[in-house]
Amino acid sequence: MSERTLEFRDALREAMSQEMRANKRVFLLGEEVAEYDGAYKVSRGMLEEFGPQRIIDTPISESGFAGMAIGAAMMGLRPIVEFMSWSFSLVAADPILNNAPKMLYMSGGQFGCPIVFRGNDGAGGQLGSTHSWCVEGMYSNVPGLKMAIPAFADDAKGLLTTAIRDDDPVFFLESERLLALKGHVPEGEHLVPFGQALVRRSGDDVTIVSFGRPVHFCLEAAEALEAEGISCEVIDGRTIRPLDLDTIVRSVKKTNACVVVDQSWSFGSPGSEIAAQIHQACFDDLDNHVMRVHSADVPTPYAWNLEQEYLPNARRIAEAVRSALYVA
Amino acid sequence: MSITLTMPRLSDTMEQGTIIKWNVQEGDEVASGAVVADIETDKATMEMQAYDDGVVAKILVGEGTQVPVGTAIALIAEDGEDPADIDAAPSAAAEAAQVDPTPETPEPSTPAAEAPTAPTPARSAPPASGPGRPRVSPVARRLAEEHGIDLGSLAGSGPGGRIIKRDVLAQVNAEPMAGTVETAVPVPLAAPTAVQEVPALESAAIEVSGMRQTIARRLVESKQTIPHYQVKMRFSMDALIDLRASLNEKLAAEEVKLSVNDFLVRACALAMAEHPMFNASWAGDRILAHRRVNVGVAVSLSEERGGGLVVATIRDANLKSLRMISAETRSLASKARDKGLTTEEMSDATFTISNLGMFGVDDFTAIINPPNSAILACGAAIEQPVVRDHQLAVGWEMAANLSLDHRVIDGAMAARYLATLKSMIEEPMRLLA
Amino acid sequence: MSSLSDPAHATTGGRRPLADRTSATPDELLDWLRQMLLIREFEVRTMQAYQDKKIGGFCHIYIGQEAVAVGCTAAVQHADPIVTAYRDHGHALARGMDPKYCMAEMFGKIGGCAKGKGGSMHMFDKPNNLYGGHGIVGAQTPLGTGLAFATKYIDEVIEGGKSRHVALCFLGDGAVNQGAFYEAKNLAGLFHIPVIFIVENNGYSMGTAIHRGTTMSHRLISKGEAFGIDGYEIEGMDVIDVQREMKAVADKCRETSRPAMVDMKTYRFKGHSMSDPRKYRTREEEEVWEAGDPITRLRDALIEEGLIDDAAFKALNREVKLQVRSSIEWADASPEPDITELFTDVYVEKFGPYLGTSMPQIVTDQENDR
Repeated sequence: MSERTLEFRDALREAMSQEMRANKRVFLLGEEVAEYDGAYKVSRGMLEEFGPQRIIDTPISESGFAGMAIGAAMMGLRPIVEFMSWSFSLVAADPILNNAPKMLYMSGGQFGCPIVFRGNDGAGGQLGSTHSWCVEGMYSNVPGLKMAIPAFADDAKGLLTTAIRDDDPVFFLESERLLALKGHVPEGEHLVPFGQALVRRSGDDVTIVSFGRPVHFCLEAAEALEAEGISCEVIDGRTIRPLDLDTIVRSVKKTNACVVVDQSWSFGSPGSEIAAQIHQACFDDLDNHVMRVHSADVPTPYAWNLEQEYLPNARRIAEAVRSALYVA
Repeated sequence: MSITLTMPRLSDTMEQGTIIKWNVQEGDEVASGAVVADIETDKATMEMQAYDDGVVAKILVGEGTQVPVGTAIALIAEDGEDPADIDAAPSAAAEAAQVDPTPETPEPSTPAAEAPTAPTPARSAPPASGPGRPRVSPVARRLAEEHGIDLGSLAGSGPGGRIIKRDVLAQVNAEPMAGTVETAVPVPLAAPTAVQEVPALESAAIEVSGMRQTIARRLVESKQTIPHYQVKMRFSMDALIDLRASLNEKLAAEEVKLSVNDFLVRACALAMAEHPMFNASWAGDRILAHRRVNVGVAVSLSEERGGGLVVATIRDANLKSLRMISAETRSLASKARDKGLTTEEMSDATFTISNLGMFGVDDFTAIINPPNSAILACGAAIEQPVVRDHQLAVGWEMAANLSLDHRVIDGAMAARYLATLKSMIEEPMRLLA
Repeated sequence: MSSLSDPAHATTGGRRPLADRTSATPDELLDWLRQMLLIREFEVRTMQAYQDKKIGGFCHIYIGQEAVAVGCTAAVQHADPIVTAYRDHGHALARGMDPKYCMAEMFGKIGGCAKGKGGSMHMFDKPNNLYGGHGIVGAQTPLGTGLAFATKYIDEVIEGGKSRHVALCFLGDGAVNQGAFYEAKNLAGLFHIPVIFIVENNGYSMGTAIHRGTTMSHRLISKGEAFGIDGYEIEGMDVIDVQREMKAVADKCRETSRPAMVDMKTYRFKGHSMSDPRKYRTREEEEVWEAGDPITRLRDALIEEGLIDDAAFKALNREVKLQVRSSIEWADASPEPDITELFTDVYVEKFGPYLGTSMPQIVTDQENDR
């Protein structure tokens, strides 16, 4: 049986379309999602199938439409809000951070917020500083939200389906650089549970933990390091909240060394949090402190070479691995 | 602007260099072309030239320290500059490379510019063992505890002399070398003063592995701190050799091939039941009697793989049949030679056997493998004239030499243990039960 | 010159016969009076409890504005969702929340409408379709738009019928300058969303008089017209006027599925919050507005019509006082939230340190009653 292959963006659309067919409470809104077919063609053809009441073009008004969708979610609808880029979500910070993740708590359990915010996160290609935000750094700080970051097409579908069915608000972080990535995607219902990391590559010497696009950098580094005789175990965390610490710790107990790769800035980030949690969970199994590879602690540069160096690229990951193993 | 001298690339393959000697000091004037330092590369010791005139403002990397090519190693004040001012502001990179031998390995998110200098391997740096506690990685501390290894006896190879996992494992691997190398250990290796090289001897310096260094250190420590004495007994091996031949013949179809050593392992383990002090350790102010009987078997490694010795542990040997002991020993020995043993496979031996019989050695003594209290050194079973029933006859005999820790085991105890062993070896059917 | 400082409107009305002014039944009129009395008494006791340190944090008193919450709520159906800002006790009570849940919430007790996790500014009542109580100025305006969007979506897409609900979104005059409000209005106008933005224009955003912070303050509804939203100016001190005019607005919005904006002129008799010495306005101004007290006005009108006499009014007042007193006793007796409540209601799902969610007493009591 040959495996069906889809692009990452098609896998996202398949998840949304299947859920919209199954549940009328699900609808999609955002800038250019309908008549333009999506700025990145994720929602191509959906207007045709579902009509303008469920595939809704919004004006450039993130604070307004994000807040509006949250109000709708409080009444039991299940909106999918597309941010053309998560960079633009900053102007919607109040609704997405102050309302969505806190509504259940503030209302003492009366009003949940079953909503999905999704869009491109992280550096694209030379988009410059304002359009290259990795919001996981800031947003993962907030309790009450869930955060998923798929790295492969099958997870794009599986995690998004789970996100749409989830009763809690989900921040779904995609990468423009992965949208054309092809991979096997199961047909029909495909759910990937939250809080279950996946070992993408097994190894003995060091554990590399990452999320989203940098997982590919990690695999690239692991390949290169194998030639040096270093065997890397690469873990794709898949969701940051909930975090599957168990899988990470199990691996670290085996390898005794760990490198966390996170495309957000280092200060107060998922990377720093995961490093701290590893130190707490298995300090006595570590042969070195947990190393971290982040985007450089500067605004995202435009120039190609600077941007490449800025990213947590394979070379920087390999350097960190060698340091972690005292072979630098 | 001051001029930064960096570790030069003095060979095509050089990635790191060690400053053997500075020929200048801070404050000295240097002229372009002067040899400011001798640098050891991966291939040779080379001279490092200055390319500018000036005054040495700051030496950033001391003698004996190895740093990557490109690392700042000194600052030169140019004409008109006050060296004192330069001293105040060495580049961040230089600072990291030089001063602190324990740079927290580079924060991976630091700018690329720093990357080449940051991962200074402290391995070859002078150990930063000040008066304080030794620096130990968490897992190294745990492993050391598990193996009863004194951290103070280890030199760390991590940053700032941090003791890391590989240092402990090297120690664990080396521990067992016990018997066979006793006479081979060159005393000077561990002697407080290094042997002076005598040119007339035309000596070649051989780099030694971590394992070799550990062997040297541990055996000196064992021999110097444990009050060793030896007790020897000869066993008649006729019955055992007959039994072995008969068993091997019967079990050939099952690919079982018992060795004399397998019988020895089982015999030693069973004898422990009657002589628990042979399965014990001296613990400073008390003796720890172990309940589990784990017999270590010394395995020599091939020269191609760097030589050395490891001890493979046959756990709960008193509970295992000859056939199980045989299979396990064979499998551990071949694994040790092919790809090495895991920590688990080398740890927790409570008594050790070293057997050089297969090399034709007929009699030798061994050094105790701490924290054991005894080691049995066995030579070859040799066919020789013996006296049986007041008659001269021909028989198989083997010499067994016990080395003992007198703090735990006295001479008479040793004699009784050997007697038990002798009765088992000479009536080997008892080992089948 | 703000029209709000002109007391003229405070003395108008009340002369025409009631039948010309309202289609409400006598029972409804008496109920409005009872609701306003309840809010008044509740707020007085709230101030007392605050000063007794039984209530912490920020606390904003609704006294003076009772006619707005009561009149607006009476103008719509119970199924129409309501959302408001942080001066929310009046809306909660007008919507039908038993005052004991409201008081217990402020006392930080498990019996509070939000189990003591929301506090004064965050009153939620699912059985009564009250969607909060929101603390960030203007933040509730996109939410209110979303509530109305949802009713329309449910009516049209899910049930396949015609949009038949409206949502009431209350905001203070200070919120009209928030960007979120402008975005909400644009979306509401653009998408034909039946949300009514009711600006409770009490003349001050905290201590800033409206003309000091807001352009076109003499004609706030121009800020809706820019988005194609019909605007209405309503005198908010007389509950009969409020209900009548709001009913007309709501009926139109419901019929046309269009948004509206109301400049509801009112006055808060107390400070912005409990810590406000009110130095930014004069005692004389306050006295003029107090002369137009909405409770007195309805009472006088009902006495004039013979629907109530002095004794009946006193009896009603006593009844309300007893209700509030027993609410306080109930709130006092309600236990503090168990410490495990710290980790409940963070997520619906139970995982890691989070303990899942459960409905508060305000919901479960209702279910038990059924």
